[in-house]
Amino acid sequence: MDDARERFSELVALHQRRASRIAYQYLRDAAEADEAVQDAFVKVFSHITSYRETWPFEVWFTRILINGCLDRRKARARRDRWFVSNDVSSADEARVSSVGGGVGDPERALLSRERRAKLAAAIDRLDGRQRTVFTLCHYGDCTPREISAMTGLNESTVRVHLFRAARKLRGLLRGKP
Amino acid sequence: MILPGHPYHLQDERLFECYLTERSGELIDPPAAEHLTDCASCSERYADLVRFMESVRTDGESEANAVFTPERLRAQHQQIVRRLEQVGRPARVISFPGRLVRRTITASAGRTAPRWIAAAAAAGLFIGVALGASYEWNPLLHSSRPSVARSADASRPAYLAPVATRGSNQAAVAEDDAFLSDLEVALERPHTRELLAFDAFTPHVREIYDRR
Repeated sequence: MDDARERFSELVALHQRRASRIAYQYLRDAAEADEAVQDAFVKVFSHITSYRETWPFEVWFTRILINGCLDRRKARARRDRWFVSNDVSSADEARVSSVGGGVGDPERALLSRERRAKLAAAIDRLDGRQRTVFTLCHYGDCTPREISAMTGLNESTVRVHLFRAARKLRGLLRGKP
Repeated sequence: MILPGHPYHLQDERLFECYLTERSGELIDPPAAEHLTDCASCSERYADLVRFMESVRTDGESEANAVFTPERLRAQHQQIVRRLEQVGRPARVISFPGRLVRRTITASAGRTAPRWIAAAAAAGLFIGVALGASYEWNPLLHSSRPSVARSADASRPAYLAPVATRGSNQAAVAEDDAFLSDLEVALERPHTRELLAFDAFTPHVREIYDRR
């Protein structure tokens, strides 16, 4: 068991960055994304016997991760209906705002932050399936075939969703509804 | 697809397919690749699409990378490892403090105590009610009550009676008032020495009220 844990720990190190990226794009909250990633890895380890090698490990893992993220999104939407919505923590915001601009270039940093905020808002406006396939393709580095395996959608349907998501994003980001 | 003013152009869907194919490291199908080489308009559209998609991708990636720093990822990894250590292990039974455990073990012995307490309380209540009832119904005791009350009135201690104070004296009242007034004036006055002179020249609210 300890040997299995050690080997799995190596697997975690291999996939955690990509997993965190996907979870963050879904949840837009670092702490929640962190928890989602942890939960997904623990879940996968607990159910490792049910893994079939038809698909690569990351396909199986990503599917579990996405389901976890979707559950969290649903729970958050429910919470927001009843309570005050959670904003992105100030620490995350500070970290994110420092990206894209040097210390001596506040204008560039501001523009970059605005662009990212617009992008996040536009992705959030995508239809659920479009958002999933788009996130997996562009932030999870998955091919349409892998996305098809993860989501259970037909590969051609995945391609259609990808195209529509890209078209909608372009429209939203360039000021066209 | 034939667009107005152009003999032949690639559709947006086709361009997007080309982008996906190229991104996954495969070769674009020859007719489309040939067209992109020949047609400046489609080539420009394709370049624009690639630019947009890449900017979306890099923006998202850089944002996530800024949040998930190597330190954060290391902490996350350690947390996952800690959680994995708990998987497959039997649930831990948290031992309660010794006193509580002993109490739990001797629960059957301890259960008799509340019964005695309840019985004693019930007996006490019964005796109390019985005595009270017999006191109310006893005619001798009933008739003697007013005399008891009277004797109680008579034996009331003297300290409950109002005591004559200086308040009855008019001069003393005026003296008290003057003292309290001085106290209020002292409290209203500024505590800073430099302001005392100014304070002496300016009229006080109290003085104005007194004049009225």
